[in-house]
Amino acid sequence: MTTVALKQIQKRYGAVEVIRGVDLQISSGELVVFVGPSGCGKSTLLRMIAGLEPISGGELAIGGARMNEKAASERGIAMVFQSYALYPHMSVYKNMSFGLETLRMPKPEIDKRVRKAAEVLQITQLLERKPKQLSGGQRQRVAIGRAIVRDPKIFLFDEPLSNLDAELRVQTRVEIAKLHADIGATMIYVTHDQVEAMTLADRIVVLRAGKIEQHGTPLEIYNKPVNRFVAGFIGSPKMNFLDVSVIERRDDGVVISLAGAKVVVPLVDRTGAGATLNLGVRPEHIKVNGAGSVHLGVLTITHIEHLGGQTIVYGRLADKQTLIVAMEGQTLLGTGETLNVSIAPEHCHLFDAEGRRLAD
Amino acid sequence: MTDTAHLPSAVEADSTPDGDKHSPMKRALIYALLTAVSFIMLYPLLWMVSSSFKPENEIFATTSLIPQEFTLDAYRRGWNGLSVSFGHMFLNSLLISVLVVVGNLISCSMAAYAFTRLQFKGRGFWFALMLGTLMMPQHAVLIPQYLMFLKFGWVNTIMPLVVPKFFAIDAFFIFLMVQFFRGIPRELDEAAIMDGAGPLRIFLKVILPLSTPVMATAAVFSFIWTWDDFFAPLIYLNDIEKYTAQLGLRTFVDATAQSDWGALLAMSTLTVLPIFILFLLFQRLLIEGIATTGMKR
Amino acid sequence: MSIADASNSKPPLSVRLRGQLGGYGFLLPWLLGFVVLTLGPAVSSFYLSLTDFGLMGSAKWIGAENYVRIASDDPRFWTAMKVTFTFVLLSVPLKLVFALAIAVALNKGLRGLTIFRAIFYLPSLIGGSVAIAVLWRQVFSGDGVLNQVLSALFGYEGPSWISNPSTSLYTLVLLAAWQFGSSMIIFLAGLRQIPTDMYEAASIDGASRRRQFIKITLPLLTPVIFFNAVILTIDAFKAFTSAFVVSDGSGGPIDSTLFYTLYLYQEAFTNFRFGYASALAWVLVVIIAFFTALSFMSAKYWVHYDD
Ligand SMILES: Nc1ncnc2c1ncn2[C@@H]1O[C@H](COP(=O)(O)OP(=O)(O)OP(=O)(O)O)[C@@H](O)[C@H]1O
Ligand SMILES: [Mg+2]
Repeated sequence: MTTVALKQIQKRYGAVEVIRGVDLQISSGELVVFVGPSGCGKSTLLRMIAGLEPISGGELAIGGARMNEKAASERGIAMVFQSYALYPHMSVYKNMSFGLETLRMPKPEIDKRVRKAAEVLQITQLLERKPKQLSGGQRQRVAIGRAIVRDPKIFLFDEPLSNLDAELRVQTRVEIAKLHADIGATMIYVTHDQVEAMTLADRIVVLRAGKIEQHGTPLEIYNKPVNRFVAGFIGSPKMNFLDVSVIERRDDGVVISLAGAKVVVPLVDRTGAGATLNLGVRPEHIKVNGAGSVHLGVLTITHIEHLGGQTIVYGRLADKQTLIVAMEGQTLLGTGETLNVSIAPEHCHLFDAEGRRLAD
Repeated sequence: MTDTAHLPSAVEADSTPDGDKHSPMKRALIYALLTAVSFIMLYPLLWMVSSSFKPENEIFATTSLIPQEFTLDAYRRGWNGLSVSFGHMFLNSLLISVLVVVGNLISCSMAAYAFTRLQFKGRGFWFALMLGTLMMPQHAVLIPQYLMFLKFGWVNTIMPLVVPKFFAIDAFFIFLMVQFFRGIPRELDEAAIMDGAGPLRIFLKVILPLSTPVMATAAVFSFIWTWDDFFAPLIYLNDIEKYTAQLGLRTFVDATAQSDWGALLAMSTLTVLPIFILFLLFQRLLIEGIATTGMKR
Repeated sequence: MSIADASNSKPPLSVRLRGQLGGYGFLLPWLLGFVVLTLGPAVSSFYLSLTDFGLMGSAKWIGAENYVRIASDDPRFWTAMKVTFTFVLLSVPLKLVFALAIAVALNKGLRGLTIFRAIFYLPSLIGGSVAIAVLWRQVFSGDGVLNQVLSALFGYEGPSWISNPSTSLYTLVLLAAWQFGSSMIIFLAGLRQIPTDMYEAASIDGASRRRQFIKITLPLLTPVIFFNAVILTIDAFKAFTSAFVVSDGSGGPIDSTLFYTLYLYQEAFTNFRFGYASALAWVLVVIIAFFTALSFMSAKYWVHYDD
């Protein structure tokens, strides 16, 4: 169990700066998930921690010791690759024992470890097979098995589930969570699937263009996104953003004009009358027919998706702004019909013109 | 992505880009044409083989490919037609070819591994130079090399034919292996790095075991070209006991003064035979090797 | 960027050295070979070309004299040039045309492709050997197979093609053309790279097969044609064994098969004029380099690249 500390970590490829000063403290035994859009540098950051990619600037410390110059093998890290990267010519057993043999561990000890890991992952019956003879899910387990036999202090995962089908993904996700609970190692997990992020993480780190936008527990990120980007990135369906302007500042908040109507939103941050803001409302927080106290207007339905347990309603407000509503249960509504939509004041997120969250 | 190495396979035998659209007539025509061309191309070879089994007086009496009288006489005459038997020269050729194969496999795979998998200063520069030597005619270095080997006392030994191959002098094979190594997913190396393996262990335990196809290709080409080589043995080997089969055959041409065509053709057939056998066994590898490097020979 | 920052970004010497050592460790055999067997000899052969140097005695500096003599006072050099250029200019196009034609025919999705491919490839695998040169000598001799066939089929009594100076070179051209197989394989691989939907689109547009060949196949194949042409040209300049065996090492009859490499060999290893032969070698290098460069320069006018 060990800590990981990133101080102003940078990565440059020639003149291109891919990671632009990342600061992060990961405590021992924590499971941290990196999320962000494609190309934001998640893999690069992970590979720098692993030692596969030289660090261009800043300092990486593991367990308090500087690691920048240490070879990958000296960092006490194991990594699970997206494509599994199993050695195709070796049996499952050999795949798992390869690292231990590299360490010149005695044969009986290797055997003990491999068998124990195989048992934990329920792949004992597969030990003599070649990777080609395994299903995707089984390969995934072998890849994890290869990581755990060495008993590393830190696990890195780079989108380990993206090659699995939906069902297997859920199942393996649960198993990784269980694995983390069992062995309690520090884990860093890269994904662009936000459900994975929300369900697995002790802490989520949202990256954009090589910088950390926000980090915090899943609920912190969900409830208090620091900016429009994070707000839009976490949550499904995506948060709605409505253009609003401030009409009046009052002691208990601001009065904004929305679809012609005046709405009071609680807000402590300073913002003057006349400012243009973004009101963020999550689809699942929108109430139909007057349950919430902040009235958003009348929604004309343009499209409906029936998911069974949930219904996603797409529509337009009077001023043509689009809005997505996620309703619990099922509905008999059709397109063209209208809904009165509202929201509880505590579920309103206001962002300024630059996209920063205005504190509430 | 899969986790198996992608083996370059430029030649998939039976997929057909624009088949089935030809009329049966046209197809038959194409077949007939191809068959005719094949026959004309193979005729000299077939004639060589069949004549080697004919008695001397029959060789020029008929163009038929089937010997009327089958005899191994020409082989007997040819085998001992020189002061040193062809068997001896075949062994010389075999020894040289095997050593060259070993040298090429070791040295070229090392170079290819460095070029594709290791990071070091000047890699691009050296790689460009290596590609340059692919194109460079050997004549530019021939004479100084000869003089150097002369000084080493290596002339009239197999050293000049073998030793350079342990120094990756055949850039073609480096190129061939580079092409192949590039197809092996880099994540395998990285997984091995995470497993604590160094460059040598990755090379031996990951890259080489996955490279058996290209190693086999390189080995077969290497063997065939060395077996076939005439120029280098001609320059470096003087004593008939040291001769390769190719040199022996060429000497035999003079020795028979072109009077014993039967024996000459018999020995010709024998020197081609090993290549032909390798061709039958490894045809697919050879063809893929040519197709993936785009190099001819 | 601060100085502290820059130093931070570089691992210490020991770590950097470890990486370099790994790379150079594996490259070492090649590197040694390159320096000792290629670079050094190339330099010293250029030096030798400026000297008078034989088997006995030491190299005597004579400046450009060898080159002057090559250009102005060596009829055999010009014969060799003529023979070699004739050989290159005939054999390369012949090979290309055969290779392309057969490749296109084989690419029609016929059954038995693998067998035909193997048959056509075989000659280029064994064609460089002494045995084949010996065979060729027989086939084209006065009482050889060719004349037997000619007289059997047409009653034509042919001459000895090999010992007739006006035909001997063409027998070698034919021998080279016979070995079109490996170029054919490269063409086949190239043909397979052409996406099928191109043809489908063209068929829908109503293009005839001939038109498809001219408008799609050929342009898309130009990079392969170019590549083959360059490689074949270089190889043709270097041809040696067949001429040597067929002419008993003389380049005869009356120098009609005096390939450049053969002349070079004679000067170096029969007459032991190492200085002069080195100059000849460098002239060959320059010629090959010139033609390669020329092809690359011409490429932009006719070679079609996707990107
Ligand atoms: N070797 C390289 N040279 C130059 N740029 C690179 C290199 N490797 C990665 N990049 C760039 O760095 C950025 C980050 O890449 P990275 O692979 O870390 O993204 P990612 O967040 O993992 O994306 P994804 O979700 O698609 O995997 C990208 O813009 C990429 O183009
Ligand atoms: Mg990635």
